[in-house]
Amino acid sequence: MPTITIDPVTRIEGHAKITVQLDEQGEVQGARFHVTQVRGFEKLCEGRPFTEMPALMARICGICPTSHLLASSKACDDIMAVRIPETAGQLRRIMNLAQIIQSHALSFFYLSSPDFLLGMDADPEERNIMGVVRKYPAMARDGIRLRQFGQRVLETLGGKRVHPGWIVPGGVSQPLQAEQRDRILAEIPEAIKITRAALQWFKGQIENFRAEVRSFANFPSLFLAMANDTNEIAAYNGWLRFIDANLNIVADHITGTDYQNYIGESCNDDSYLKSTYFKPLGLADGMYRVGPLARLNMCQSAGTPQADEELAEFHELERHSVLSSFYYHYARLIEILFSIERMQDLLHEPGILGKNVRAHASPNKFEGVGILEAPRGTLIHHYRIDENGLIETANMVIATGHNNLAINHGVLQVARQFVKGKCLEQGMLNRVEAVVRAFDPCLSCSTHAAGEMPLDIQLIAADGEIVDRLRR
Amino acid sequence: MARVLLIGYGNTLRGDDALGPMAVERLRPLLADLASATGSAVSPEVELEHCYQLAPELAAQLAAVDLVIFVDAAAEGKPGLVRVERLSPQSSDAASSTHAASLTHHVQPAALLGLTIALYGRAPEAILVTGAGANFESGEGLSEYGSAALNEVCRLVPSLVRDFLHPFRPAAAAGCSIPN
Repeated sequence: MPTITIDPVTRIEGHAKITVQLDEQGEVQGARFHVTQVRGFEKLCEGRPFTEMPALMARICGICPTSHLLASSKACDDIMAVRIPETAGQLRRIMNLAQIIQSHALSFFYLSSPDFLLGMDADPEERNIMGVVRKYPAMARDGIRLRQFGQRVLETLGGKRVHPGWIVPGGVSQPLQAEQRDRILAEIPEAIKITRAALQWFKGQIENFRAEVRSFANFPSLFLAMANDTNEIAAYNGWLRFIDANLNIVADHITGTDYQNYIGESCNDDSYLKSTYFKPLGLADGMYRVGPLARLNMCQSAGTPQADEELAEFHELERHSVLSSFYYHYARLIEILFSIERMQDLLHEPGILGKNVRAHASPNKFEGVGILEAPRGTLIHHYRIDENGLIETANMVIATGHNNLAINHGVLQVARQFVKGKCLEQGMLNRVEAVVRAFDPCLSCSTHAAGEMPLDIQLIAADGEIVDRLRR
Repeated sequence: MARVLLIGYGNTLRGDDALGPMAVERLRPLLADLASATGSAVSPEVELEHCYQLAPELAAQLAAVDLVIFVDAAAEGKPGLVRVERLSPQSSDAASSTHAASLTHHVQPAALLGLTIALYGRAPEAILVTGAGANFESGEGLSEYGSAALNEVCRLVPSLVRDFLHPFRPAAAAGCSIPN
């Protein structure tokens, strides 16, 4: 079968390639998103003391170490069967929100804004962050400033921007100081102003991207996110809920003890990334999406005033669920706004400077599960230990794995629209990459690298002959 | 008051690549003393940073200082060799045709200076100090050569700061040195 290969995909976190299979008539028949490197954290942590897991798991990724640190610590809390002090819970929430801000700012301003600002068909030599710097320096400054804000919060609380410590089984290691709180609060008004300006700008641009809205992984699917009693955005605490494209609840109140009844994991022969699926429907029909789009579809309100205004407008986009994955970008901006506002609320909580921030206990269970909403979607850490507290098995279900089937489906959809016969066009390449980028896949759980990567697309006939090739 | 930023970067879990971050920690008290003991009206305000790699958001910090000194480990060159190089900003046009073209969270020092000018209209004077290592495998701790280079870096950096503050003194010129 003729195959088009895009290898590697650029401006995503990690290494991946895409293949598009054509039939004998040159029509697109299938498409696959492949993660080509493995890191194997689930195996290498076997035999380690469970208390080491948060620090070890944070090393999975240089972009979202805080998310892994939090999910791992929650799994350890579960093993110890402790309820962490309220102040510690609030401080962990602030860390999670800061992580969402800095990661979303990276995705929107650094990785994706070149497509919006310079055009999907602009020369790749120009369509990058340096191109944005030259033509839209104010936007670039805003992106840098917003990411810097999120990172400063992580550094203020965790001591480091990348791979912070501080979050530990049972809570956090140090209480927050008044000076630290005030320093963060002082930066919030500017962060809100930048975010609102970016939202206004992006909403004004949507009309220019109607083709992308229509074709970027725009299909009915299930959505998975954490939920709570108030039906607001639940980023740290809550249970798992599946909804369908009509906003009907399909499965609810799923916890760490029964998530495996609902979430199936499938290994692939041609990719190191697992595909997860809604188990009751099976692999063939169980595709779902996670992340900002899923979270905003799931909640009825954000829970903060300015984000609620924006969310109401977002919900007006479609009658039921917002289905186009192009709107992941829009959802990220709303989530940044929500995260800043919620962080401000938490920092004003009367007990936020409390000194009791850690519960101590030995293992009281042989199994623990930690779940939270990472920037890219639901993150699950699941550990089993032996009687000595050593890890027997570990299972991590990451956002990009949840989205894998949808990414594949999205690549297929956009390839069908833009691939014509046996001739490759630059526009097809740009859009196939861009649809993947809309999901903001973080493959650092498989690898961690960034920089310029060559792009090589091959159109291979059934007899193995290369009939067309595009490189950059 | 002169503002000086020292940035040591590298991975502390990859042997000699830790040279930059370790230099920052070792220089912290020395530079604090320097700041309080220059005995001149231009006593510096010294800010220290260590990170895994240079990222675009450092541009905002660069725009606010008068001198930046980057400290990095080098995988090339005779192990133990320390190089001091004055840097010029790389233009954003040139950056587009290099690895900076798709920079997301990783950038070279000269490109970072170019980014700083493009975004903020100015960039500080800049010096890159590198120490050539011998071992970059996974693991903590410097090799014998890395340790020697670290000692030399920590000897040189305070003098580079002093030279910046007192430009009419004989300067620690750009060049190479191999520690004894």
